[in-house]
Amino acid sequence: MKQKADVLQGTLALMVLKTLDVLGPLHGYGIARRIEQISGDLLAVNQGTLYPVLLRLEQEGAIASDWGASENNRKARFYRLTREGRKQLQAETQDWQQTAAIIARFFNAKAEDLS
Amino acid sequence: MRFLKRFLTRLFNSASRRANDERLREEIAEHIALQTAENLRAGLSPVEARRQTMLKFGGVEAMKQDYRSERGLPFVENLLGDLRNAARTIFRMPGLAAVIVLSLAIGIGVNTTVFSWIQTILLQPLPGVSGAANFLLVEPRMEIGAYPGASWLEYRALQTQVPALREVVAFQMVPFNVGEKGQTERTFGQLVSGNYFSALGLKPALGRFFRPEEAQRPGTEPVIVVSYDYWQTRFRGEPGVVGQKVRVNERDLVIIGVAPREFQGTIPLLKFELWAPATMAPALLGGTRDLEDRSVRAFSLIGLLRPGATREEAQAEFTTAMAQLARDYPEASAGIGGEVLEFWKAPRGPQRLLISGLAILQGVMLLLLLAVCGNTANLMLARGSTRQREMAVRVALGAGRWRIISLVLSENMLLALLGTSLGAALAVWGTTALRMAPMIAAFPIRFQTRVDALTLAFAIALGIACGLIFSAAPALYLIRLDPQDGLRSTSNTPPRSRARKVLMGVEVGLAMVVLIAAALFLDSFRSARQTDPKFQPEGVLLAAYDLSGRNPDDSSEREFAARLLERLRSLPDVEAAAIATNVPLDLHGIPARSFTVQGRVRTEAGQDRAISNTVTPGYFKVMAIPLIEGNDFAEMRDKAAPPQAIVNEEFVRRYLNGAEAIGRQIKTRTASFTIIGVARDSVYDAFGESPQPAFYFSYRDLPAMQGEIHLRTRSGNETALTSEVRAVLRDLDPMLPLYDVRTFSQHIERNLYLRRIPARMFVVLGPLLLGLAAIGIYAVVSYAVARRTREIGVRLTFGATSGRVVLQIIRENLGVITWGAAIGWAVAFVISIHAITKGVVNLPVFIGVPAILLGVATLACWIPARRASRIDPMAALRHE
Repeated sequence: MKQKADVLQGTLALMVLKTLDVLGPLHGYGIARRIEQISGDLLAVNQGTLYPVLLRLEQEGAIASDWGASENNRKARFYRLTREGRKQLQAETQDWQQTAAIIARFFNAKAEDLS
Repeated sequence: MRFLKRFLTRLFNSASRRANDERLREEIAEHIALQTAENLRAGLSPVEARRQTMLKFGGVEAMKQDYRSERGLPFVENLLGDLRNAARTIFRMPGLAAVIVLSLAIGIGVNTTVFSWIQTILLQPLPGVSGAANFLLVEPRMEIGAYPGASWLEYRALQTQVPALREVVAFQMVPFNVGEKGQTERTFGQLVSGNYFSALGLKPALGRFFRPEEAQRPGTEPVIVVSYDYWQTRFRGEPGVVGQKVRVNERDLVIIGVAPREFQGTIPLLKFELWAPATMAPALLGGTRDLEDRSVRAFSLIGLLRPGATREEAQAEFTTAMAQLARDYPEASAGIGGEVLEFWKAPRGPQRLLISGLAILQGVMLLLLLAVCGNTANLMLARGSTRQREMAVRVALGAGRWRIISLVLSENMLLALLGTSLGAALAVWGTTALRMAPMIAAFPIRFQTRVDALTLAFAIALGIACGLIFSAAPALYLIRLDPQDGLRSTSNTPPRSRARKVLMGVEVGLAMVVLIAAALFLDSFRSARQTDPKFQPEGVLLAAYDLSGRNPDDSSEREFAARLLERLRSLPDVEAAAIATNVPLDLHGIPARSFTVQGRVRTEAGQDRAISNTVTPGYFKVMAIPLIEGNDFAEMRDKAAPPQAIVNEEFVRRYLNGAEAIGRQIKTRTASFTIIGVARDSVYDAFGESPQPAFYFSYRDLPAMQGEIHLRTRSGNETALTSEVRAVLRDLDPMLPLYDVRTFSQHIERNLYLRRIPARMFVVLGPLLLGLAAIGIYAVVSYAVARRTREIGVRLTFGATSGRVVLQIIRENLGVITWGAAIGWAVAFVISIHAITKGVVNLPVFIGVPAILLGVATLACWIPARRASRIDPMAALRHE
């Protein structure tokens, strides 16, 4: 059986930021669903762990939140990306891609390339 | 930036304890509602839909916990919680807390006070000089180890020859007679080099300081700088003081400036009022040759280190310069090298006198504080054990080891903090009292102590150390606790705590050392008032004169003394009159001289030394010291008699093995004297001293500039003579002030002053410590007894008498106490023998103190033991 990947906290934060960037303001459940859909159920995330991450991002000023009405007209808290959050996302995306590229190169390298 | 912002938000949340759990609750509810709806749409049954939702969401409570610790700072929250809890706990035990806080406050207070004195002497030798740490003493040193001071010409040479010192400053202490004919006042001042104030970096409070040209050539500008206090007291702080003239040693000098408020001169602990250029020396000191004679080493030097230079460089350059001087001027400088020293290593001066005494005092006070800590630890431990259950519950509910420690620590630290603040307040009071204290001695001693940042840091460090020390025992005890045990245990399992007993022993031992030290000190102080000085101080008036402003020679000094004595003896109320260079029981001690005496061959290395005093005929009559053999000195104007000496009995015993002394020759470094009499031993330096060998020389042979007039009255009212003595001196020399007029009894009191301060401390601290030890023992024993109520009940049921029970409890506890006391006693005994009394054992103290301490300890055991033995056996067995 394929083991579900653990999610590092930083990665989860990055996913939240990206989700909000793509979809615009969203409530906690919406973010959780979206991450689930995209990662294809491979991530072992208890949906609850999302909330401390949201709080932290809000305290850092990367996201802001307001009360609004959800699809079934209940009171829900909507999170949106701030300008600072967008900057953070860009910077971290770049970092991440760089890291990924380096790792990828290592995996593709053949023995003769390293000698 | 991001981190800081978040940290501040969290700190704010923690501090304000803002609980917006509501928001989280609503968000979770919404989340679950949405997910459940989703699951229902997917076709699950309502029950299953909800179950799946909850599974997916994960542990709600764990998540909430994470959320909360993200929101605030758990560390800060715990700390605040602990402190709140500690404050509540302390509030709930006001009696115990008061004992702990007060005893700590006193312990920390006295230590801080003593420390502030030490640091004043060591670290701030020059009050008012901000860069005092950059100054070094520049001391010429003779081969035999004496520090003679520097001559003016030597100073001028050193100014340029020690480049590592940016500035070298010279000064000499001089007594000044200030004022008009007939109303002169004696004040101490310094003759200083031209760069004195600029090198010290001082700014005048008023006017200006010396210009370089004012200290170039001898006798150029008659100018003077006065101290701030002098300006305030003699000129009522009038700004017009600059430009006024004062008459100093019969010369008119113009005041050009006022020194800054704190500044008191450049000899640590001494306070000077006037500063004149060194080039004024010949004018002010009656034509002294200070400025041109290389053999007159009247000046002290200090140097300001050039930035980047080290003391070692300065030392090397100074050594080279002194060697060069020794080659150039062998008659004045041969064999004189030199040392560059930090102030606290001063080889001479008043600070040397005080520092070792203060160091011992500090040591004893630290021991006292340690004993207080031991006591507190014991009390906290006894309390800690009654809180076993509380702690067990906490551990069972998941409190970690560190949480328990931090709980105990915050409680104790809060107590320590309270004690420290109160102690610091005490120290402020103590140092102010010392500042105010009149320090009258032959020299103008002045302490400028205060509780500054360093002293405060010391107090806080002590407080923290105390807190840690007395937290250690209860914390260790509580974390080793097995929660199951704690919950299950009732008083039927008496855990015999070894820690408590050991602590009790240690505390008693420390208390023993401190109490013995205090008792020894008090005893020596008390005996000072009671023992017979072997001369008769009652009815004797003392007064001093000083001819140094006249630059007199031997014959004028001798003639002055002879005329003064004639006039004094003609006064109707004077029974006997004499002049001496030294007064016994002076703060500064009486100097000793080395000598050789005919008929004695010294076997070991070194030289024989004896206390020496130079006196006029009539001295032994004034002092009521009988001459056992021989006669008094020849009259002052007698030119025929050879140089004479009188020795005391101890001198004969020690150096002549009791053989006939009269007629033998004594040789000192300078001259030879014939022994003409033997005087009875008397006290010289301190009450209670063992007999010291002493010899007296005659003023006729060795006249001196300064003299202490000794007068014995017929009527017994010596103070009544004061005005007559003043009149006599005014008649002889109207410009010469009479100073330090006091009765011999006042002289003795005054010189006990420095010992009276610690004596008062000990009078308060001794009983306090005894009380603390009693409370400590009482707490431990009553706790132990309370835990054994059931056992005692059983014993009583089976027929043990209450007397036996009491006896057994006392015996158990007294064992440990006796051990502690014995060790403390032994330590005190060894220290006392080797360091303080040097072989003499003060038996009453070494027997009395243990007796009192053990008596109090027994009582402290007996009270709780007796209470326990009086319980109704049935009640005890039914207990719980």
